[in-house]
Amino acid sequence: MDLGEKLEILADSAKYDVACTSSGVDRPGQHGSLGSCAAAGICHAFTPDGRCVSLLKVLYSNACSYDCRYCVNRRSNDRPRATFTPRELADLTIGFYRRNYIEGLFLSSAVLGSPDRTMELMIEALRILRQEYHFNGYIHAKTIPGSDPLLVERIGLLADRLSVNIEFPSENSLNQLAPDKNKKAILRPMGQIAVKSAESRQELAVYKRAPAFAPAGQSTQMIIGATPESDRHILNLTEGLYKKYALKRVFFSAYLPIVADEHLPTLSTRPPLLREHRLYQADWLLRYYHFSAGELLSEEEPNFDPYLDPKCTWAVRHPEFFPVEVNTASRAELLRVPGIGPKSATRIVQARRLQALGMAELKRIGVVLKRAQYFITCNGHTPGHGTRAEIANALLDPKAFGVGVQQLSLDDFTAKPLPAAAPAVHELAAHGMAADQAARLVREEALTCLTKRM
Amino acid sequence: MPYQANVTDTAYHYDGSFPGFLCCIFESFSRREIPAAVCPPEEAQMTLFGVREIATDPAHAQRVAAGLDRLGAVVRDRITTGFLCTDPGKDLKLLRFARLCFDLGPRAAQMLGDADAAAAFAIERAVTGEAHRYIEFIRFEERDGMLGTVIHPKHQVLPLLRGHFCSRLPDEDFLIFDATHGTALLRRNRRVQYLAMEHYSPCTDEAELNWQSLWKRFFKALTIEERRNERLQMGHVFKRFWPDMCEMRPDLPVAEESTHS
Repeated sequence: MDLGEKLEILADSAKYDVACTSSGVDRPGQHGSLGSCAAAGICHAFTPDGRCVSLLKVLYSNACSYDCRYCVNRRSNDRPRATFTPRELADLTIGFYRRNYIEGLFLSSAVLGSPDRTMELMIEALRILRQEYHFNGYIHAKTIPGSDPLLVERIGLLADRLSVNIEFPSENSLNQLAPDKNKKAILRPMGQIAVKSAESRQELAVYKRAPAFAPAGQSTQMIIGATPESDRHILNLTEGLYKKYALKRVFFSAYLPIVADEHLPTLSTRPPLLREHRLYQADWLLRYYHFSAGELLSEEEPNFDPYLDPKCTWAVRHPEFFPVEVNTASRAELLRVPGIGPKSATRIVQARRLQALGMAELKRIGVVLKRAQYFITCNGHTPGHGTRAEIANALLDPKAFGVGVQQLSLDDFTAKPLPAAAPAVHELAAHGMAADQAARLVREEALTCLTKRM
Repeated sequence: MPYQANVTDTAYHYDGSFPGFLCCIFESFSRREIPAAVCPPEEAQMTLFGVREIATDPAHAQRVAAGLDRLGAVVRDRITTGFLCTDPGKDLKLLRFARLCFDLGPRAAQMLGDADAAAAFAIERAVTGEAHRYIEFIRFEERDGMLGTVIHPKHQVLPLLRGHFCSRLPDEDFLIFDATHGTALLRRNRRVQYLAMEHYSPCTDEAELNWQSLWKRFFKALTIEERRNERLQMGHVFKRFWPDMCEMRPDLPVAEESTHS
């Protein structure tokens, strides 16, 4: 098998892993080695599905000895198998990196025999990269659940970021769909990485040349939509993970039915992309906007509104919090206004030290006023007056009603609902209604509903 | 405009160099006026305003540069980076911003509610934004151990790419050719030069083409068809970058077929 074919098979098997970030560590280049890292991360390409390619995302091997029901690489699935050698993988990484195709390596693997053996092979590839080729770029490595703690420690000293996939939002689903994995085997390395990483940061503060253990922290990912958990359950779990294990990111991956199984949604199920999007929005609210999971969802409303983003939903539910005066409110208060994000909030706080802010100034600062104007005052004046229906109209998320021509084939120019449109739009379109009409109909209904609620 | 100055109907013409631009700031400051336009030679043909030629005086330029240094890195970088922009009218916007900063001090850079500060910020962001895109999307090809690439930027981004790539490839020789402005950034034996250059012929070395096809295969394999969303892709990688990126170019055999039919 030639290298290209191997690469194709192993990239194809790895593509369902979402984490492809190269952020979290700032490391300038130095003579004698190759590469550098930027704290914000750098994307290098975008595939036609709109996802970024930052790292060479491959599996070390896809010849898995486990039989997880949801996974493409399960033992009982008939597909081509391939395994890199450590040297091949290291050469490939260096070749791509020098040409500025990638920011580094993302290495995961199927379980090749036993977890320990798999980890040893991965460590060997990373060792060649770091110690023989003096590669100074980004490395994200996945630890294999159930491997020895000593191996986790060794890989942590070679990689920048580690991750352990939690796979499903509850233990029940995990036991049902991934019979070879268990919760303890997943959470134990996660705890170990959290402790080790904190220790290493302390040591680095004392002694500059102390070895860095996973300096970019750790992340995890879970599959959304294959199992019956509510958004509230998922978000509470996410918040818990951030607090308890100091994770840098929790990734969500909309379930794509690739294997038929009686425990899983049928093959014709559409991936819940809008739900995934809402969860990411909420995840951002947790990390950058000082929201807590309890504020966003409650027992009565355990799922996100498909037509309204989580922040707007919160704002509609809490009219007593508004309006916010832009010239005096704190940054945290500004962050609660729909349409004002961390950048706008910082700029507002800086700019108002020197000048009073009115509507014209806010526009120049670059604040998106479409939604924000109904929730703020400038020096006591309300900039946006609107009826309830007009406000509701501004708040509805256009993404949920997206319709457009996808250039899948060159002769098909009929508009279709975009992948991330609301399920209701997809359903109406599937029943033969024209896509734009379906979107309009669903939008009108959502609008009436929201107007009533306000 | 918090400072005292007449808005005149004179246009400043200068030689297009950065010291020349600094002399325009000097002239504006010493005469207490804001010109109606500041024109480098390429914008200077047609104007309805009275024209004043601003001679480049190194001593004046030095004084203004020292003044900008005193205002701190944010203000200085906004003006030096903004000067790399090629949009017409950028000179006047930057001059007005410089006057604002000389009057209010370094904090003026954060006063984005002000039209001049916001305009200068937008210019700087256009340039740094484009430079960042090239940091992401440059595709090197190797020839005789040296890396080379060609780009077609709107703004003169080469000075902003220099630091990143010198740090990233500390022991490599490389060349980045800016085809729009006919300049090249050459790093050889750890020394950097800017050269005038006219033509760059793409590499036809077999080993190199092999690397490119490996990358293309990887890129194709990574796409999830069920999530296909080309609009999103175009929102991230504008089409003007595509001709210089090997994975975005259509495969050669496919292109031949379409020309035959």
